Amino acid sequence: MIPLLAQAANPIIRWEYFIDEWDQIRRALVEHLELTLYAVALGLIVSAGLSAIALRYRWTIAPINGFTAFLYTIPSVALFGILVPYFGLSRLTAVLPLAAYTLLILVTNIVAGFNSVSPEVREAANGMGMSPTRRVLHVELPLAMPYIIAGLRIAVVSTVGLVTVAAIIGQGGLGRLILDGLRRTFWTPMTIGASLSILLALVLDAVILFGGRWLTPWAQRGRSAL
Amino acid sequence: MKFSILKKLILLTVALAVVMTACGDGDGDSAVDGPTIRLRGQDFSEAVTIAEVYGQYLLAKGYDVEILTPAGFRTEAIDGLRNDELDLIVDYIGGSLTALAPDAATSADPDAVVAIIGPAYEEIGATLLDYSPAVDGDAFVVRGDSPATTISDVASLGYVFGASAQCFERPQCYLGYTDPAVYGITFAETVTVEFGPLLGEALAAGEVDAVVWNTTAPQITEQGFKVLEDDQGLHPAQNIAPIISTELLDAYGDQLRNDLNELSAMITTADLLAWNTETDIAKRESDDVATEWLEAKSLN
Amino acid sequence: MTVIAQAAVPRDVGVFEWLFDPDSWAGTDGILSSLADTVILCAIVVVVATITMVPLASWLAHTRRGEVSVSWLVTLSRAIPTFAVAGLLVPISLRSGWGFEPWPIFIALLLLALPPIFLNTYTAIQQVDPGAVDAARAMGYSETEVLFRVELALATSVILAGVRVAAVTVVATEPIRAFLGGDGLGRYVRDGLGQNNDGLVIAGAILIAGLAGLTALSFRSVERFALPDGVRRLATTATR
Repeated sequence: MIPLLAQAANPIIRWEYFIDEWDQIRRALVEHLELTLYAVALGLIVSAGLSAIALRYRWTIAPINGFTAFLYTIPSVALFGILVPYFGLSRLTAVLPLAAYTLLILVTNIVAGFNSVSPEVREAANGMGMSPTRRVLHVELPLAMPYIIAGLRIAVVSTVGLVTVAAIIGQGGLGRLILDGLRRTFWTPMTIGASLSILLALVLDAVILFGGRWLTPWAQRGRSAL
Repeated sequence: MKFSILKKLILLTVALAVVMTACGDGDGDSAVDGPTIRLRGQDFSEAVTIAEVYGQYLLAKGYDVEILTPAGFRTEAIDGLRNDELDLIVDYIGGSLTALAPDAATSADPDAVVAIIGPAYEEIGATLLDYSPAVDGDAFVVRGDSPATTISDVASLGYVFGASAQCFERPQCYLGYTDPAVYGITFAETVTVEFGPLLGEALAAGEVDAVVWNTTAPQITEQGFKVLEDDQGLHPAQNIAPIISTELLDAYGDQLRNDLNELSAMITTADLLAWNTETDIAKRESDDVATEWLEAKSLN
Repeated sequence: MTVIAQAAVPRDVGVFEWLFDPDSWAGTDGILSSLADTVILCAIVVVVATITMVPLASWLAHTRRGEVSVSWLVTLSRAIPTFAVAGLLVPISLRSGWGFEPWPIFIALLLLALPPIFLNTYTAIQQVDPGAVDAARAMGYSETEVLFRVELALATSVILAGVRVAAVTVVATEPIRAFLGGDGLGRYVRDGLGQNNDGLVIAGAILIAGLAGLTALSFRSVERFALPDGVRRLATTATR
């Protein structure tokens, strides 16, 4: 028997594939990035709304937390399967579950971020005659930002991994390469799809990390004092 | 330069939006007048190659064709036709039968199958065109050293049976093999295996003793398996046939119908096997395999 | 055994009608037996991840080793597409004569369970008040005693939170096993998808989400009961 990973036609990675199928790889990468950004953007908008409700009406924290935790436990394959009859094999069917999975971590961190703002700071802002909107946007949001960014990093990295599953409903992305490889026991697209997915996650993580530092330069000063 | 955090956030959002729009692709145009023909292969290599063959053929004939990313299987293809997301699908007629008329009697005669599915497709606003001589049928596959030559022989062997989830609810598949009125086989155990090369891996590893595969799977000869004879005639005819949106067909008239029928008539079972050998054994890409075949037949 | 469950679920059956039918739960292919398959595998994965990662992360954090590489390693492992890993391992396992189960799914789930446990243990121990550690050293505690009686004691709730996150993630992901030649609770989703039976997909998803929810709740109550008040306050600062 020929060892599975050493067949001539089927090495772990066949380098010509990069050149021959570059169009396919590039398109998969762009689709993957798009799906990730749409899902996280939608997740962020919904999380902002849910967090606002949770912070305004404290009693809603437990139910909101329970609901987002429940969404998180539904297996992605099943959630895609449930949505296909309603939205077809569309981008929406892929983005909705992916966005739903980001809610747990994003809401938790947004709420924790705003909770970390000390009452004294709030009082000081009120004392300076700031309107509530101005106080939230100019004082509380910047102070909560490190928490939000920490949540965003986890959300983005996990979403990049999950987007690979969206290939089963025909939304492309790097999962398309992985699935193609699985269907043909062809290692090259699997290796490339999985590696690029991991690489993309690391790059996006770094982008948010440094973007966050640029947004909140004062947070660094605090950290270096430790 | 000093920005406030809010201005920075707005700046980031705008930058992101610009990048996203820049990533979008533009579309090209084609020669023959008429609506775009949207075509999508089912998500396994043979169907992907078939979709590429039909798509590239029509493109070469000057039609405006959009070959979509392969996705889903028969159900999604038929739903796509029904919901006007697709204009052209290519399916196996026996498979179409199980999807559209699950209770109808199956037949190994393609004309009998077509007589049932033709009207069923008309009901969803689609037209079944001529079927091809190319057949990819259901195959009851065992290891080469099995004493059985027909499916009936398996009844006494106490085999472990492996097949995809679909098979287990179909009268032409698991239900037929176990039905006392048909084969009446009692399997020692059943394993649900994703359709595809994993069936062969499971069979070779001895995890299962019999699998339901398709007759044009190149791994069957490659891995030294054999296909058992369907002595009770359970398996339906599985010729490939294009199904097209009636509205679109009317828009193009007989030219499109004739072009498609001409192509279907040229594809043979040996072609399907050759394509699958290229994609699944030599690990080449479906679109390249399709292009080469069309070139060899001077069709593009 | 008269009926095989795969064939026993009619297409037009209602979700709750099926879920509340005792026959759905009984037998070798029933929900109870699938549930047992899932619970056993998940429990083994979480236990193995815990007994390997807690000591490793504690030691690394106690000795303040590898601070930078740790966070990257965890990000990296979070980004690994589980399905691809498991899918890659199945043919390898088959060709090696180890069969469909349990290695491919076990390794894939283990990779998923390691990071949260490692990360929580590491951060929890790292963030133990240096004052408490110095006080213990001043009282003549050995380094081992500092680790076990001060750092681990103070970090317990955060570590447990990490185990909870790992357990819930593992339970919610285990269903991919059904697509890799195994069974477990994911079989209903697989069969429902394959047989175009939406009710079965939804029922399967409800069962899995239910089990995951139950897992989370049991861990939360353990976290609450097992800990003294002083430590419980620390839990509110836990990283997820």
